[in-house]
Amino acid sequence: MNTARPTLAKGVKLRHDRDGSVILLVPEGALVLNRTAAVALELVNGKRSIEEIAEAVVEQFEVSPRRAKTDLTELFERLKARGFIQWTS
Amino acid sequence: MDELRPLSLLCEVTYRCNLQCPYCYNPLALRDYRDELTTEQWTDVLRQAADLGVLQAHFSGGEPTLRADLATMVAAASRAGLYTNLITQGTFLDDAPLDRLLESGLDHIQISIQAPQTEPADRIAGAAVHARKLDAVQRVRGRNVALTLNCVLHRLNHDAIEGVIALAEQLGVARLELANVQFYGWAYRNRLALMPTRRQVDRGEAIVAAARERLRGTMDIIYVLPDYFDEFPKPCMNGWGRQFMTVTPNGYLLPCPAATSITALTFDNVRDRPLAEIWYISDAFQRYRGTHWMPEPCRSCARREIDWGGCRCQAFLITGNAGATDPVCSLSADHPKVVGLREVADDAELVARRA
Repeated sequence: MNTARPTLAKGVKLRHDRDGSVILLVPEGALVLNRTAAVALELVNGKRSIEEIAEAVVEQFEVSPRRAKTDLTELFERLKARGFIQWTS
Repeated sequence: MDELRPLSLLCEVTYRCNLQCPYCYNPLALRDYRDELTTEQWTDVLRQAADLGVLQAHFSGGEPTLRADLATMVAAASRAGLYTNLITQGTFLDDAPLDRLLESGLDHIQISIQAPQTEPADRIAGAAVHARKLDAVQRVRGRNVALTLNCVLHRLNHDAIEGVIALAEQLGVARLELANVQFYGWAYRNRLALMPTRRQVDRGEAIVAAARERLRGTMDIIYVLPDYFDEFPKPCMNGWGRQFMTVTPNGYLLPCPAATSITALTFDNVRDRPLAEIWYISDAFQRYRGTHWMPEPCRSCARREIDWGGCRCQAFLITGNAGATDPVCSLSADHPKVVGLREVADDAELVARRA
């Protein structure tokens, strides 16, 4: 799973709001992202693996690599279940 | 995000429609809305909305694709940085207009069907359109845009709910919205004929729960609960004047698409006042915003900032007082009226939507 490469699904967009927050715009809704999720989703491009995205998160936040990978896998699984991201192979 | 800021703008660009669905929430007096805003006025409304902090623009109606300038409006919304969503019944989504909309930056399309099979779908729609809708779904599926298939559920099609899910699977749709009818406008007029039975409601919930489990990761199923059967009311619009604005075809800015049913309120028009002024200081938007207006049992209720007193339009339609607790709430003194409205009449007249 950690080698999976996430990509934003059709109709899903990241937006920087005027108040500094990062928002995931989805069909008929919007999710305000926490800082970790925002950094992670900025890196989602269908080429980077969750492993690579986790490394970048570890560089920016005080979090263990193991914890970062677990959290991100969970985040992406949740977004996948709603159809907001897809895996590319 | 900012405390008080609209996030979503519903543009009801026309109430004209070639279908006659009896569950439509549009107002009965459709002829009163024929003086439609011009392209320039819509473009200006979209820019003002983006300046106010709106994130998403939804184009609906009526049937929005009946406006020949729809793509121009979508382009204006996109340029203003808004996420754009088209809510359509799909009968006019041929290749050329569809491509124009996508070139204009359209992000998402919702296409509605009336039932999984041609009959009774065409009977409910009042026109032979089911096959054309399915063609439109296929056309959209083949393009680079997100798609939701929508079906409004009511007594006449509730038993076909598995069929709707099966059709969505067969069409390869990633997002399905099954929305129990909300009783406003034409739907309120036709409530005795449209009201689902308790058996249908219970059965529907079980089927949806099982389908969600089975289709997890393949299809996201959004289920809009039936209004009159719950213990607590829906948090209508996430609270009056908190996140949502609707513009009617002739320019009235409303806190919710059904708000004109509250005949005790006067609404402002975008032709007369800037959006910001209407949003922040108009009487209609301020009247039921937040919790200050709440009567008991809402005022002291732990859920007052969860459901925001429920729906103002429903309170007005059922109790005659838009400032009452939504009578759907089991704590409302008027709740027995809602229990009474759960009744169904097999011989109820069904009035087709028409101008």
